[in-house]
Amino acid sequence: MDSLISVRDMCKIYNPGENEVRALDHVDLEIKKGEFVAIIGHSGSGKSTLMNMLGCLDVPTSGAYYLSGRDVSALKDNQLSEIRNQEIGFIFQGFNLIANLTALENVELPLIYRGIGRGQRHKLAKEALIQVGLQKRMEHKPSEMSGGQQQRVAIARAIAAQPPVILADEPTGNLDSASTQEIMEILKGLHEAGHSVILITHDNEIAEQAKRVVRILDGKIVEDYVNT
Amino acid sequence: MGNIIEYVKMAFKNIKANKGRSFLTMLGIIIGISSVIMVMAVGDGTANAMNSEVEDLGTGQISVYCSDDAINAEAWITPEDVAAIKESITGVEGATPQDGTSGTTITGKGEFSVTLSGGTEDLQKSLNFNMKRGSYFTSVDVEEGNRVCVISNSDAKRLFGSDDVVGMDIEVDINGISGSYRIVGVTEQKENTSFVSYTYEGMPVSIEVPYTSFNYFGWESDSFYSVMVFSNDEASGEDVAQDIIHTLETRHQCAGEEYYQIQSFQDMLAELNSMLAIVTTFISCVAAISLVVGGIGVMNIMLVSVTERTREIGIRKSLGAKTSSILMQFLAEAAILTVLGGIIGIFLGLLGAMGACSLMSASMGSVIHPGIKASTILGATLFSCGIGVFFGIYPARKAAKLSPIEALRRN
Ligand SMILES: Nc1ncnc2c1ncn2[C@@H]1O[C@H](COP(=O)(O)OP(=O)(O)O)[C@@H](O)[C@H]1O
Ligand SMILES: [Mg+2]
Repeated sequence: MDSLISVRDMCKIYNPGENEVRALDHVDLEIKKGEFVAIIGHSGSGKSTLMNMLGCLDVPTSGAYYLSGRDVSALKDNQLSEIRNQEIGFIFQGFNLIANLTALENVELPLIYRGIGRGQRHKLAKEALIQVGLQKRMEHKPSEMSGGQQQRVAIARAIAAQPPVILADEPTGNLDSASTQEIMEILKGLHEAGHSVILITHDNEIAEQAKRVVRILDGKIVEDYVNT
Repeated sequence: MGNIIEYVKMAFKNIKANKGRSFLTMLGIIIGISSVIMVMAVGDGTANAMNSEVEDLGTGQISVYCSDDAINAEAWITPEDVAAIKESITGVEGATPQDGTSGTTITGKGEFSVTLSGGTEDLQKSLNFNMKRGSYFTSVDVEEGNRVCVISNSDAKRLFGSDDVVGMDIEVDINGISGSYRIVGVTEQKENTSFVSYTYEGMPVSIEVPYTSFNYFGWESDSFYSVMVFSNDEASGEDVAQDIIHTLETRHQCAGEEYYQIQSFQDMLAELNSMLAIVTTFISCVAAISLVVGGIGVMNIMLVSVTERTREIGIRKSLGAKTSSILMQFLAEAAILTVLGGIIGIFLGLLGAMGACSLMSASMGSVIHPGIKASTILGATLFSCGIGVFFGIYPARKAAKLSPIEALRRN
């Protein structure tokens, strides 16, 4: 299968100098299209840092990163915005919805930045919300929804523009077990529908539900196996 | 940039979602713009009203007076000079010496001080009055030194309780000599002249008399400090003024001594206007300060708003918003707020100006229309919009340039 993500010898050093933190320490990682990968590690092991690199939210200190075959490690701010918009769907632990927008408006945001016209935007956003089971909550504001529902809005926002990669950083970290399972089912469904899903977690039980598990410790990949 | 409509919509949504903050932002602009417009409109309106009034009554009126050198040389203006000016200069319709004295009179209404303005029958040309009763004194009265006088209807009422006083006598005491003046005419003030003549309690009664009538009181009225010349509309005031000086200098053989000076009504008008301009400038400074203070208010609220929304900026950037998109959104918000505030400010400013003008009109008995200049409105609006947009953009730019991760980390 085609390579989706190719990370070579990547380092990320925070506060270079005296108090430097080596959050990523010579990481190599290959992920192919259509994979469902869990990245697991303790708190502070560098998972979020890795996700920020993979999602082009931040730039590495050294190393190369190819996304869909394109070198993105040396791109400018505006080009990174374009990559995030077109290649990546984010799901954050804290949902990161905009409080004064409705569910539908939140889902429409990445489509607006992609320049999609109003009619098609509405259609795509509604479809995404229906896909996560929120057809009855489209006009609700985040404050009027439960945590699980808010995370489903965030998933709808991540998938509305059909990006090749879905990056989820501890998407169930703030949720109860019932909501957690709901979200996991949706992610599994997305994988089955052909999306590439990268799931970051510190929870072994959740990691076991992915097809492949990458374990990270102190900024180094220490284990990489396929679930059987 | 094809998404401008989207940014404007987003901006409106945000303004509505944060009504209190939006209102406070606009308030600064509203106060600034409305106060500038109000002050300028009232100031200009007052200036216009004064100008048109003064123009009404004073064009073509030239006052000639003796300089200090002339006084030292005793080169006073004589009745013959006045006659020569009237006869020989083209464009001159009339000329009268200006002489005056004061005295007292006692009537059934009490004791009054009286100001007597002496001149020839041409004095009536200077008046901003209509004859209400009787007629003005004549050249015969001037020749014969008759003690006749013309009085205003309001002064007549003060002296006698009625303005039907033609034929009655006013007994005037000047320096212990008393003489009676027969009233031959009663004048009535033209409308809308509050700035020019204004009466108050205890103000002397004023009458106009032939200057020759002063002879009766023991001095000869034949040398004058000043003469009032009336030119017709066609004559250039400047030319007439030069001719008057030339005539006087020839008659007194004092060419080049600068004995005689001119003050035309235009000069007075210019003086009046420059005084008004000083007042307007001062008030404008005060208004400009309020504009600046309003602008600082806008700046503060914009800074707070951007700081509050750094996380939102992070979210938008993580979803693919470019720095320029974020800027557009904040620019649209700032522009909408300042333009709305500007419109409300203009509206309130005009309303305030009309209110102030009608209050002033009522208390002064003269009509003042607010002087609304497009340049004032445009200037004030551009200024405050500039402030709003600049201070909206500046912090937004800083926030938009953060990496999305950094923006997201702020809470
Ligand atoms: N912006 C930052 N500045 C300094 N140190 C950071 C920053 N972000 C993360 N770190 C450090 O890098 C290490 C990895 O952090 P992170 O990637 O957030 O771990 P995880 O998501 O696995 O909990 C931690 O030691 C953390 O303290
Ligand atoms: Mg983390």
